[in-house]
Amino acid sequence: MIRSKKSLFIRYFFLILFSVVALFPMIYMISTSLKPNGALYEFPPKFFPNLDEITLNNYRYILGESRFIKNFLNSIYVSSLSVFIAAITSTALAFVLGQFKNRFTNMVFALLIVTMVIPGTTLIVPQFELAVWMNLINKLTALIPFYTVWVIPFSTFMIKGFMESIPKDIIDSAEIDGASIFKVFVNIAVPLASPGIASVTIFNFLSSWEEFPWANTVINDSNIRTLPIAITGFFGQHQFTQWGYVFALSMLSLLPILIIFISFQKFFISGLVAGGVKG
Amino acid sequence: MKLNNKSNRIQVGILMSPALLIFAIFTIIPIIRLFFMSFHEWNLSSMFEQSFIGIKNYKVVFKDNFFWTSFTNTIVYAIVTVPLQMLLGLIVAILIDGIKKMSVTFRILNYLPVITSWVIASLVFKYIFNTEGLLNYFISNILNIGNNNIHWLDNRWSGLWVIMFLGTWKGIGWNMVVFFAALQQVPKELYEASSLDGCKTIRTFFSITLPSIKPTILFAWVMLTIGAFNVYTSVKLMTNGAPAHKTETLLTWMYYKAFSTGEFGYSAALSFVMAFSLALIAVFQFKIISKKEN
Repeated sequence: MIRSKKSLFIRYFFLILFSVVALFPMIYMISTSLKPNGALYEFPPKFFPNLDEITLNNYRYILGESRFIKNFLNSIYVSSLSVFIAAITSTALAFVLGQFKNRFTNMVFALLIVTMVIPGTTLIVPQFELAVWMNLINKLTALIPFYTVWVIPFSTFMIKGFMESIPKDIIDSAEIDGASIFKVFVNIAVPLASPGIASVTIFNFLSSWEEFPWANTVINDSNIRTLPIAITGFFGQHQFTQWGYVFALSMLSLLPILIIFISFQKFFISGLVAGGVKG
Repeated sequence: MKLNNKSNRIQVGILMSPALLIFAIFTIIPIIRLFFMSFHEWNLSSMFEQSFIGIKNYKVVFKDNFFWTSFTNTIVYAIVTVPLQMLLGLIVAILIDGIKKMSVTFRILNYLPVITSWVIASLVFKYIFNTEGLLNYFISNILNIGNNNIHWLDNRWSGLWVIMFLGTWKGIGWNMVVFFAALQQVPKELYEASSLDGCKTIRTFFSITLPSIKPTILFAWVMLTIGAFNVYTSVKLMTNGAPAHKTETLLTWMYYKAFSTGEFGYSAALSFVMAFSLALIAVFQFKIISKKEN
């Protein structure tokens, strides 16, 4: 289709406008994190700090406190472990659901889909009771089984699609050669589904990394907190919220996500597994 | 592959069991427990001895004005943010679809709000919409159109507008990506045929683009409605229900009743009312989908 120069100009103009709206809050956060903490209640508020007052003091404070380093490591530990367990267990389940269709596997799949519709936080009371019963309150371990179970339905759903698209001939010939189901799973199904497993895992990592309500409910101790809880922990601590610290820690917690996003951008912006970041 | 011998059945069982076990313990059992508890007297004082009280919890929920406020707020949130972010996301997708240079850059920039966590996004918005924040300064000292004392987050509707603004801002990127993928699937011959027929751009949009991406629109509509009922973190961090529980949504109100007043039975009943409403909406949405397909 031939586009006139004028219509192209209008497109770029509006795209820049949308991008500015998308970026504005983040730029403001970065600029606030670079201001001296005392300047935050100053009038008038400034979008950009004066060049001579730009400081890394907020970042220095955060990196100098051992508890924030612990919070960072906690987040890495919990997110990595839960997405790892979710990847293995969902892949195995998806393989069975995709390759062995009968009344039972169809029912299991339907059940998984139905629970995807229920908002996760509605179950927080019985899950809290379960965590109390399992003696997991105020322990980092309390997060892992729940982060795992929240992503299992979606992961299974996505990976099942890849499992179904494995050519039947490949599996049949492996079977004729005498390969067991385990062998077919490990040597054929997993390698062929690996793009799906990888993209699902990246999305799962994001949702575990940013999870707030559950961690905020079961974890109290500042050394056991994950990053989202550490960030909100600044509120109510002093009479005035130290926004410089809040946003410096926010930026540091956003950094790994930005690195993942830029390294794997095609997973995100191609729309293939876009469902992963909702809810 | 077939399940014709014992060894095969055992292997399949071993592959399925870890995921199903985790799922049964941490999701299915809590659902059953929640359903059971919604018919029992269950609060802090009766933590270990609950008596069956039938549908009393449900009656209390339906008689509670705060429930209706949070219910209304959640519905308003869904009705405003879902179509708005779909529309804006579709517009961005269409704009990007028509350019060659910097298509990837614009998609990355517009997707950034999606990967920003709810906690961080809520705090930045809270900071901007603070009474002493940037927005009030902009309104009163730059535009000179009002006083700098607007309490954005301290009133029901202005607080909800900020919450809905955040929800929309954060959702545009997801819709853009989903609709962009759908636009790529529309056969180019359709556009060529319509331009030969001399169709105007707007008519092409309504007669070709829109019908072609209809399945995606419906998919996004269902997903986003579920997402809208999930709204929790932004409310919790920006208004925390204030003033006087007027900005609560269903989940924040459920959470408050459970963990601040210890009325677990009430929250259990509320959870089921919420799940049931969502199921009704889903059925309604699928009815519309199947009707339009006929």
